[in-house]
Amino acid sequence: MARKTVLFRILRYKPGHIDPPVYQDFKVHLTPAMSVLDALESIRLTQDAGLMYRHCCHHASCGTCACIIDGVPALACTTRIEAPAGGIITLEPLAQHRCVGDLAVDTNDFFEDFDPRWTSLRKGEQGPASRRPEGVNQLTRLENCIECGCCVSACPVIPEKDPFLGPAVLAAVNNERRNRPRDAATLLALAARSDGTRRCKRHIACSRVCPSKVYPARQIADLQRAIEDPSAKQ
Amino acid sequence: MERILIIGGGGTGGALAHDLTLRGFQVTLVEKGSLLSGTSGRHHGLLHSGARYALHDMDTARECYRENQILRRLAPQAIEANDGLFVAITAADMALQQAFIDRCTAAGIPTRRLEREAALALEPALDPGILGAVQVPDATMDAWRLPLHFFATAHFNGACILPFHRVDTLDLSNHQVIGAMVYNLQTGKTERVAADLVVNAAGPWTGKIAAMAGIETSVKPGPGVMVSVEGRLTNMVINRLHPAGEGDICLPQRNLTILGTTAWIAEDPDTVQLPAGHVERLQALCARLLPGVADTPAHAVWWASRPLLDDAGEEDPMRMSRGFACIDHRLNDNLEGFISLVGGKATTLRAMAKEAADLVCAKTGRNIQCGTATSPLRPYRQLLQTLRLGS
Repeated sequence: MARKTVLFRILRYKPGHIDPPVYQDFKVHLTPAMSVLDALESIRLTQDAGLMYRHCCHHASCGTCACIIDGVPALACTTRIEAPAGGIITLEPLAQHRCVGDLAVDTNDFFEDFDPRWTSLRKGEQGPASRRPEGVNQLTRLENCIECGCCVSACPVIPEKDPFLGPAVLAAVNNERRNRPRDAATLLALAARSDGTRRCKRHIACSRVCPSKVYPARQIADLQRAIEDPSAKQ
Repeated sequence: MERILIIGGGGTGGALAHDLTLRGFQVTLVEKGSLLSGTSGRHHGLLHSGARYALHDMDTARECYRENQILRRLAPQAIEANDGLFVAITAADMALQQAFIDRCTAAGIPTRRLEREAALALEPALDPGILGAVQVPDATMDAWRLPLHFFATAHFNGACILPFHRVDTLDLSNHQVIGAMVYNLQTGKTERVAADLVVNAAGPWTGKIAAMAGIETSVKPGPGVMVSVEGRLTNMVINRLHPAGEGDICLPQRNLTILGTTAWIAEDPDTVQLPAGHVERLQALCARLLPGVADTPAHAVWWASRPLLDDAGEEDPMRMSRGFACIDHRLNDNLEGFISLVGGKATTLRAMAKEAADLVCAKTGRNIQCGTATSPLRPYRQLLQTLRLGS
């Protein structure tokens, strides 16, 4: 029996090399439980060694493999291929990011407004004190946000003329406010800037595409409430 | 100072770029894909206490504990430092418990014996039928962000970091490697990178790079499958207390539980496919520790090739040494200017880099001490803010 194949239509672009951008089709034989990232690996290893995309952990922890899959920003690693046999899956680089080659985007702009020292750990959700092992002062866990850029790519406000810090930065600001209450006033001042929370138009696109349960729109709403009433209990 | 070309942008290459830059060398690192895309990033994320190796590989056990303590200080933001348990689920496991504790103690790894009830109080998701447990200082690391600290610091200190640059050939002259021809995936152009020394840090691809110089290295690609399931079932890393085997570790990480691993030997890391049955086997084995993982649909399934050191005739990939070797090819192959790093593991990236950088110093006649055990690392986001690809 012929193996099931799917066509991947990938937007190829390499500045000055494959320029202007052009869609290129690759036929991929499906394997059980194949992810879009598995298909990209297969294309790179068997069809075109020059295909550029970012990837690292392959399980939605690093956030590097985000791209636009059939029009929606998502992680390639956890997107299972559900197209019917002979179907077409279109892959494009994230929007609002500078493309450096095919699906690979530059991270400079995404991280520009992050303070590199913002925390990436938080207190664990451990329940009773009996859950804390002897010798461990505080249970911790890595933050939900994996800085993948899906929310920024989906946000309809960012492409508008007036600058907007965007959902990823604002979610990080709210998170940081929770982790470092002492700096809350400074962080709130950042969110209250003219390019801060007030630019959000509640499209909620960010929360819909977030692969990591950060719900940036909710974080922005939290910040907005705190800006309006700094004395309110969070 | 001498120009050093590092081939391979995994954890070891990043740590080596940092170490050599700190010692004053001019460093260029090339990686054929994105950083940490080969083996390092696909790691399940265990920051080993060393306890896993205490029963059969004492040197690795000792080294892991030393590096565990150093990395907790250097990159605390990339580590869920909640310790781990080695859980006995059979009478045979329990019979090993005292030897396990004794061997850990001999390796300098602190342990705490826990009765069944105490272990279940700490981690109620454990199977209620467990017989006992031992607490050890395991932790979960972020396999992207932890090594990225080393790249960030190397880049900040002047190292040239070049992802999407693939080595196509090595430049040889009179039994000496003097650089490499490097293909830039973005521009489609090939450039010559000249170097006084070339370090082959390509992990399971080390053999392919060495073959470009017409020599062999003793690395075996040892792939393993990992599965993540939705839900954070524990705070601590859960290991099975038994001689190393398949499906004997469950790690919490963010909202996930990660199940590891299987192991086999492959000839070529580029042709590895997911073998049938591995996912089901992992879930079934790990469910003996945490029953909750049995029926949870897999959230992601992936595999990575370990770079196993093939030097003692051991055939079982679970038991092959996780130690590492720095090979000076002048001694082995009469080839000057070329060093290969073979073996090792994510937890010992800094130690591997130190040994390689010591060898670089010895070969260049320089006496400069390693500073990486104490020198602070830059935050990983700094690299992502400043590393620009192309113009």
